[in-house]
Amino acid sequence: MTNLSLADLAGYMRQLGEGALITLELFLTSFALAFIFGVLIGIATLSRSRVVQGIWRVYASIFMGVPSLLVIFLTFYGGSAMLGAVLGEFGARIDISPFGAGVIAFTVVYAAYIAELVRGAIENLPKGQFEGARALAIPPAIMWGKVILPQVMRLALPGLVNVWSFMLKETPLVSLAGLQDLVAAAKIAAGATKEPFIFFVATALVFIAFSALSFRLASRLETRLDRGQRREAAGRSSSRAAA
Amino acid sequence: MTMHAPAPDAAKEPGRLAITISGLVKHYGSHRALNGIDLEVRRGERIVICGPSGSGKSTLIRCINALERHDGGSIVVNGIELTADEGTVQDIRQEVGMVFQHFNLFPHLTAIENCMLAPQLNRGLTKARAEKLAMHYLERVHLADHARKYPSRLSGGQQQRVAIARALCMEPRILLFDEPTSALDPEMVNEVLGVMEELAASGVTMLCVTHEMGFARRVADRCVFMDHGEIVESRDAASFFQAPESQRLRDFLAQILR
Repeated sequence: MTNLSLADLAGYMRQLGEGALITLELFLTSFALAFIFGVLIGIATLSRSRVVQGIWRVYASIFMGVPSLLVIFLTFYGGSAMLGAVLGEFGARIDISPFGAGVIAFTVVYAAYIAELVRGAIENLPKGQFEGARALAIPPAIMWGKVILPQVMRLALPGLVNVWSFMLKETPLVSLAGLQDLVAAAKIAAGATKEPFIFFVATALVFIAFSALSFRLASRLETRLDRGQRREAAGRSSSRAAA
Repeated sequence: MTMHAPAPDAAKEPGRLAITISGLVKHYGSHRALNGIDLEVRRGERIVICGPSGSGKSTLIRCINALERHDGGSIVVNGIELTADEGTVQDIRQEVGMVFQHFNLFPHLTAIENCMLAPQLNRGLTKARAEKLAMHYLERVHLADHARKYPSRLSGGQQQRVAIARALCMEPRILLFDEPTSALDPEMVNEVLGVMEELAASGVTMLCVTHEMGFARRVADRCVFMDHGEIVESRDAASFFQAPESQRLRDFLAQILR
């Protein structure tokens, strides 16, 4: 078919594999941080304080409005300068790697989306859930952890799955700041071998495989979070018992 | 004072008072929900609070465990004065159990898990001991067989009985009921009232906002009638129904007993 030797192919595929690991690492780190900050920010936005509301509105409109690529560039090219301005000479000497810039940018951007989801889900919970916990003298931190957030996660899960897939698809943007990720590796291989089709399709397959795996995990998580909710499933099992 | 105490010396012994409320005021914006409430509740007393909607009866009992913060006057529960201090609030909530109109069970936890949560956190019980305690109270509300079910698989009456068991697991000395049967289908009201009557016989102090006048007649030591954020009449159950003093209570009873 082509003049690409098997050894070369294996070599490039190995590079693709290494790139895929970097992509995965970038993605999982960013998502974990965005999730933690998103939940905390989501809870904080429930405050009626005007200052908090003001900060939230500015933050959300900036990072939901500006393209992620710009945020990555700003962090990567402008990051050291910003750190210098804040921390003085010490800050100016800190170099931000493409990976670090990607993690920071995705965390800041996607924390806003996740905060919005979490905030909506909390507002949709019946007030009685909070009152029930308060009347039982359950301390606030535990109330959030054991009573409120498990229910919030159930309500927010479909939205979180969307954010997850969106963010995964945006990860290649960081290659434009010089990160040697999966797409960067594919581009190099495609350019060197003049075989774009093989490597880009292989790259696409990696993304497809990963998102297929994600959806399976998500549906398992959904089953778990839905415990106590499935009247329909309960009805089915009892009708089977009756028959 | 409109209180008709069967034991006249009770008020003189602070140790026998479960709750002392004096001059209680609560505003919602410009609306005065509670307008100077005075009420003394003795240990073991069973009080039914009734009144038209918007009369402030729910607000009153929700102030007792600080679900609503009062704006004036004072509330003393088992000798602890309710202040804005979070520690004090938690202390009082440990002594006061509450049952809500809409049950407020946690839907992601089974009946027994709902009951075990607070004792494990607040009373430092091990899982095994909390489970034993929860089972004990679920038996008491006749739901031992349903312990492992999620609330969504229980009927309204069963859910409310789980909520009662959950409150009892804190072993509170005072129980507040906020219209516990108002959200139930009629055929489920009696199972809940039955459990409440059994509880009343056990000697726990009860304050119950309800329109179930049959229940009031059978178990209440005292009935309190509220209107426009004030206590209009407060007396023993028999004379409350047979010889209401105020016209407002007469009108209310005529409406509700029709």
